[in-house]
Amino acid sequence: MQFFKKPNIDFVGKRNQFFIISSILIGLSILLIIIFGFRFGIDFTGGTEIAISVEKNITTDELRKILAQNKIVPDEIKSYGEKNQFLLRLKEVGEDANRIETTLLSSLKDYSIKILKKDTIGPKIGAELRFQAVIAVLLSIIAMLIYIGLRFEFTFGLGAIIALVHDVIFTLGMIVLFDKLGIINLEINQGIVAALLTVVGYSVNDTVIIFDRIRENREKHKGIPFAKIANLSINETLSRTIITVLTVLIVLLVMDFFSGPVLQGFAFTMTVGVIVGTYSSIYIATSFVLWYMKKVKKINIEEDIAKQTVAAKA
Amino acid sequence: MKKSIGKILLVLVPLIIALILLYPTYKASKLEKLKQQYLEQARKAKNPQDSLEIIEKFEKAYGQELLDARANRIKLGLDLRGGMYVTLEVDVLKMLEESAQRDAIDDIFMEVLEKTKQDAKNSDEDVVDIFKRNFDQIARPKKKFLSDYYDFGGSAAESEEDIIKKLKENAQESIDQALQVIRQRVDKYGISEPTIQKIGQRRILLELPGVTNEREMRQLIQTTARLEFKLVRNDENLVAAFYKIDELLKKEKQISKGLPNVPEDTTKTSPELKSADTTKAQSITKDTTQASNRIDTAKQGEQPDTTDPYAGLSQEEKSKRYLEDHPFTTLFITNFLPPNAERTQYQRDVRFYNASQVPKGEYDFEIFEDVWNKFEAIINRKEVRALLPYDVEILRGAKPNIVKDNKGKEFKIYSFYALKREPELTGEVITDAIATFDPTTNQPIVTMSMNADGADKWARITGANIKKRIAIVLDNLVYSAPVVQQKIVGGNSQITGMSSADEAKLLKIVLKAGALKAPVQIIEERIVGPSLGEDSIQRGVQSLLIAAILVLLFMMIYYSLAGIYANVAVIINVLLIIGIMAAFQGTLTLPGIAGIILTIGMAVDANVLIYERIREELEKGRSIRSAIDEGYTKALSAILDSNITTFITGLILYFFGTGPIQGFAMTLMIGIITTLFTAILISKALFQITLNLGKTNISFGQPKAVSSL
Repeated sequence: MQFFKKPNIDFVGKRNQFFIISSILIGLSILLIIIFGFRFGIDFTGGTEIAISVEKNITTDELRKILAQNKIVPDEIKSYGEKNQFLLRLKEVGEDANRIETTLLSSLKDYSIKILKKDTIGPKIGAELRFQAVIAVLLSIIAMLIYIGLRFEFTFGLGAIIALVHDVIFTLGMIVLFDKLGIINLEINQGIVAALLTVVGYSVNDTVIIFDRIRENREKHKGIPFAKIANLSINETLSRTIITVLTVLIVLLVMDFFSGPVLQGFAFTMTVGVIVGTYSSIYIATSFVLWYMKKVKKINIEEDIAKQTVAAKA
Repeated sequence: MKKSIGKILLVLVPLIIALILLYPTYKASKLEKLKQQYLEQARKAKNPQDSLEIIEKFEKAYGQELLDARANRIKLGLDLRGGMYVTLEVDVLKMLEESAQRDAIDDIFMEVLEKTKQDAKNSDEDVVDIFKRNFDQIARPKKKFLSDYYDFGGSAAESEEDIIKKLKENAQESIDQALQVIRQRVDKYGISEPTIQKIGQRRILLELPGVTNEREMRQLIQTTARLEFKLVRNDENLVAAFYKIDELLKKEKQISKGLPNVPEDTTKTSPELKSADTTKAQSITKDTTQASNRIDTAKQGEQPDTTDPYAGLSQEEKSKRYLEDHPFTTLFITNFLPPNAERTQYQRDVRFYNASQVPKGEYDFEIFEDVWNKFEAIINRKEVRALLPYDVEILRGAKPNIVKDNKGKEFKIYSFYALKREPELTGEVITDAIATFDPTTNQPIVTMSMNADGADKWARITGANIKKRIAIVLDNLVYSAPVVQQKIVGGNSQITGMSSADEAKLLKIVLKAGALKAPVQIIEERIVGPSLGEDSIQRGVQSLLIAAILVLLFMMIYYSLAGIYANVAVIINVLLIIGIMAAFQGTLTLPGIAGIILTIGMAVDANVLIYERIREELEKGRSIRSAIDEGYTKALSAILDSNITTFITGLILYFFGTGPIQGFAMTLMIGIITTLFTAILISKALFQITLNLGKTNISFGQPKAVSSL
């Protein structure tokens, strides 16, 4: 079986159009993030989250009413995974949270309440975790820059980093959007940060595969202009790109739809990240390298002049 | 064929290693199932005696095996089996309050504390520093000094700096002490496979799988420990009481068996009675039976009324009858120290026929770990309790002695002590404890000092109990029971006789539990209820399995035979990841499983890279063998680069993440290493084996080669 037989698609030629599309999408993502802001999970804000299940049918509003009668006023009540499962979010921690748990159990006794899970995070540790998460994301970006800079050229490293920043911003924008639309519960918690970091890894991974081909083809086809080499390399790796994305997407889509509330946020983030990561490897990372060579290094990347490839290598 | 042997080994050896590493996991799960069956039976049993015997039967047959298997199996994270995850931090504020002299605390002090509490809420500064600043601002203008509130037993003119230094030290040390106390408590609570870890300088991480009563657990963790000094009362009255318990239990047994209450009629021997623990106790003390014989015969000479009731019976019958008649005292080993004898001259494993035979003197008891619960259950019964001296409680030692039987199997033996219920002294009086070495003998010792009030009482207590033992009890466990050598005036005492420096250090920590309260607060708590584990988590695992199967199918369809080879490599890869995690005591969490699935993605990607290259080379008209060689060589740099970048992400996640995220990072990193190995070496070996078998064509699923697809 084969999806593509010697594809020869002009990716490089349309790079400006895609650059504009990307810029618009990133602008929109940033706008979404600024307008709506992130909704941080208790991992990062501190607080208590209790997931419960009841055996009788009850709506969120009814539940809220019963709880209010017992002086429990959660910040948020939403359904958790299945029918008659709910997630309550509270500001209280420590003793207060324990007291609420006790009241909760007794006030919903008639509904055969069961505690599915309970997380309590102190405000101080929440701030610490938030700090760690930011540091982790930044550090991983820097580490990638250094690694690719060492393995390839600084220009390539920069291209890969711009692509992955593009991916992270777009993914975050989608997280804010989908969370706001209420389609799935996507507050920023440790799981989502882990997914984001994996997206970082994937995005760079994908970019590296194309760069690796470019590096190889530059050696092999000396004298061919860089833009052509880049396009050839993308085409040559295209079937690998598609197959890998497909297999990863198979996994992620199954996780999206069947994994339940625990892994859903993780899976969603990865799905968006993998798609945009694949796109950006072609249209952002490679395009950036082309742009940089043309505008900053003033190399003629389109024309067929042998001596200029020599200059490009320098 | 010969050419292929190396290659075949390359495929088989990792597979075998993975299976060996996974075997304990498989065995543990089988034994767990079996245990559940036994427990189910035990629950259905008519009376508690029978159900206890059913459980004992399992323990005897499979207990050790299960323990061994459990130690080497892959652990499931709390998210997969339910339980409680807690991060604790020392509550320095509370410590500041509790270590102050109680009667010195006034409104000024409380004002300082309150201000400190407010300031500390949003600051990373050391709480003791904040406290000092506030003290200087609020209390000092009112002519108050730190020494008005704190007395650490040093010289009267303790400088303010010394006190601050001491407070900081205490804050540091209290974490070790809390760790010790919590470890013992969790142990006592019987939670299997808990994780108790010190994180950094001031935090403790607890993972308690399967905890259902979180409220009780929370209380257990947060209560401060209580240190007490209690008189040891291991005397003849106690031992006599033990023999009375024998009689009581024997009588009960006869009644429950429906036999008349005549001792001579107990000819029927029940095999269950000869339980594992008593036979063990016998075998381990065989070498000391001579000593016990000596006492028996000596007693016979002096007191003719206590003739041997088993006279004339064979040795075997004798011990069988003795066991039947003494169901309680045969649970443990009794050692006897005659009055005025040297401490070293204990007579090991003494046995008497009845309460009236017990000679005056001091006693010492040892009990096997697995019998302790049974023993405790018996002494806590109301009828039994009534037979024991009323002001005495029986407590176990904290640390076991490890002994080996001749097969090299290890047993834990605990001492237990009868202690005067009312403590002589409680730990608040202790101001400091230091573990050090005796300069003359070079033996590890612990010195402790007390405040003035404590020293007075201590002098009185030690003066009245010379040559007697005083137990150091923390949290109802006896850490040491030293013999008082002389009256100790001034409160500075020295405890000797520790077998190692570690033991001395432990005792120091325990003693300091009296000097400093180590109140801990829960700063992070995650509870996964068992029903989440059953329901939504199972779905998670299932979905991941479905995904994995789909990926394998896709590979097979797209790459035909080569795809199958890639799948073999991927399956070995996954087995290796889980096996290695089991070997490294890693924990499999739900994000961890996601990590494994991602690794499958990476592994598939590596194979895709290689196969696409091979297809390219084949299209160029290369022979299959050189196309394969070329494909692997050319794809290598891309595979390495892409895997290393992901590995870097994994490393960062591992160091900055906590709990479940670390699990994810761990599997990702292990996975990348195994992926590089399996995707590159194993699949290549499979191709080479095939070619060596004489095949000239391997389908890579490329259209011209696959007619069926």
